[in-house]
Amino acid sequence: MQSKPPPPASRDIIVLLPDDQGKTGAIVVSSAGVERRLDRPGETVMVESGSPPGIPTVVPGPEARAIAGPALAALPKPPARFILYFKHDSVELTEESRAILKNVLVTIRERAPVDVSVVGHTDTVGKKGYNYALSLKRAKAVASILLGKGIDPSVLDITSHGKDNPLVPTGDQVSEPRNRRVEITVR
Amino acid sequence: MTTVVLLGALCLLAVAGTAAAAETIGVVRTTSGDATVTRGEKTLPAVPGMKILVGDTLGTGPGGSLGIILRDDSSLSIGPGSRLVLRSFQFSPSKEKFNLVARITRGTMAYLSGLIGKLAPEKARFETPTATIGIRGTRFAVKVGAPPSR
Repeated sequence: MQSKPPPPASRDIIVLLPDDQGKTGAIVVSSAGVERRLDRPGETVMVESGSPPGIPTVVPGPEARAIAGPALAALPKPPARFILYFKHDSVELTEESRAILKNVLVTIRERAPVDVSVVGHTDTVGKKGYNYALSLKRAKAVASILLGKGIDPSVLDITSHGKDNPLVPTGDQVSEPRNRRVEITVR
Repeated sequence: MTTVVLLGALCLLAVAGTAAAAETIGVVRTTSGDATVTRGEKTLPAVPGMKILVGDTLGTGPGGSLGIILRDDSSLSIGPGSRLVLRSFQFSPSKEKFNLVARITRGTMAYLSGLIGKLAPEKARFETPTATIGIRGTRFAVKVGAPPSR
């Protein structure tokens, strides 16, 4: 006969959710030597200490999100990334990129307070030094547009990668418009 | 009770990383109510912008919550009455070093995977009192310690 009370058992609940774009990944829950894979939105599993994971069930969206409601509400959004393009050998943005810049401003305002990184890039045509300077000029050109719209300079981090970090890998001295860009990340 | 919520994430492009001495692995982004970061013997109130280091324990009182962004652009948060330790974190794509281990001992957490989830998901692990969770590029939540079924 036991005189001591049994140790408190723990039961944990684990739920898989889609991200804000509706995309669902997968998780693997392991306990007591058994693995369960969850890959459907709202799929939920319970695990009691010392036992294998229970049979997963799919829980409707609102109920699934309520399982850890306040934690979910506190989950920071992933950084928003934008790519702006330039005309060849210039610090002039393309038409489409001018429009994207408006989205950047909206995002900055919506998420304030933020940190914003503005990184200039070039394609591989020309020399390293020249391209470093050009990509920095591009980053600064974009930054000054943002500053002109009232963005606080202390939130901007302006850098350049020259030709060293192409979006589309090419050989040296290859003109590639997709590499002539400024990347803005809003955190 | 521990609840873990995991979400799917799409991430582009490796970050051009810079190393800091006593390497920062993330930053506090959201806080509400009683939220703290414990580092060794010291417990500090969590404030947005505060740097997070490996080994830090995130904690909340009743009604508190805390959200951080890690260097691989993943995000992690805890709800009220929670405690979570960031046991390890490495993110260095140029050296192919990836690692993330977090342990939640009470309360609720949510996680949205980032570049580690995309580039090396097998290197990420979450531990709860009853289970271990591996990710495959996801958003998930955990609630620790719901009463056991009869």
